Amino acid sequence: MAQTPNQRPFGSASSLVSLCNIFIMKVKIKDWKAVAGWRWDVPDDDVCGICRAPFDACCPSCKIPGDDCPLIWGECTHVFHMHCLLKWLGTESSQQQCPMDRRPWVTAS
Amino acid sequence: MLKIWSMKKDQAAAEKKKPKVTAAHIRLQKDMGELQLDRNTTMSFPDPKDRLNFVVAYRPPTGIYRGGEFKFTFAVSQNYPHEAPKVLCTQKIYHPNIDTEGHVCLNILREDWKPVLNIKSIIFGLQMLFLAPNPEDPLNKEAAEHMFNNRGDFEMAVSRTMNGGFLHNIHYDNVHYRD
Ligand SMILES: [Zn+2]
Ligand SMILES: [Zn+2]
Ligand SMILES: [Zn+2]
Repeated sequence: MAQTPNQRPFGSASSLVSLCNIFIMKVKIKDWKAVAGWRWDVPDDDVCGICRAPFDACCPSCKIPGDDCPLIWGECTHVFHMHCLLKWLGTESSQQQCPMDRRPWVTAS
Repeated sequence: MLKIWSMKKDQAAAEKKKPKVTAAHIRLQKDMGELQLDRNTTMSFPDPKDRLNFVVAYRPPTGIYRGGEFKFTFAVSQNYPHEAPKVLCTQKIYHPNIDTEGHVCLNILREDWKPVLNIKSIIFGLQMLFLAPNPEDPLNKEAAEHMFNNRGDFEMAVSRTMNGGFLHNIHYDNVHYRD
């Protein structure tokens, strides 16, 4: 239970993923630039991880930047457009978990 | 005057016909912008007007599936990225994690999908399935057991099925490509 997000990049345990990780360590293929950028749990500071729009722009459901489109922080320190996060938490598959680390979402107060 | 009016009407009609750019489109466009395909992977759009449906083809550079080109259809829904794309293998292949109907056993396409993942994540996962097929997470149980119990025989069966032909009364597709 005391796992940190970095220890469980894919959420629940999967041997495939551990295989993947082993593979990345074993093989250095220079072509795979995309692979070098393969990180699940490191949030990009400037963009919302859900819609990939910059935080200083609004989410895709809002039209005008400066509209009422606030950001929301979780206790896990991850941040999203509030509208993007609420849409995700509204889906069944979210299981009310953070889109980054899949831990139960708790809004930071 | 009349002419201008009718021109405007035509324009309005054309606007309406244009596919609406939705949040899913915008996000997918960002995914594509960040996507750097390696030389073993190609992407194509059977209907260029439909950006939500495309095909990814992968030629594993090593491993037991080397020599084949494996094709997957991606169907991205309007709920993307809140819902994972639907990915199917279009060929009948002998693989522990892909059944003969083309369903793919990849955790991020199912229970472990999350909206911070992207098309790149899925393509990477698919590539891994061919470089490191995983009999512990099987979708084709027979292939998984085969791989588990007799690795050498399994590998021979893979290369035989990749040529197109029968294995246990199931016909597999020839997946070899020509350059
Ligand atoms: Zn957002
Ligand atoms: Zn918004
Ligand atoms: Zn989080």
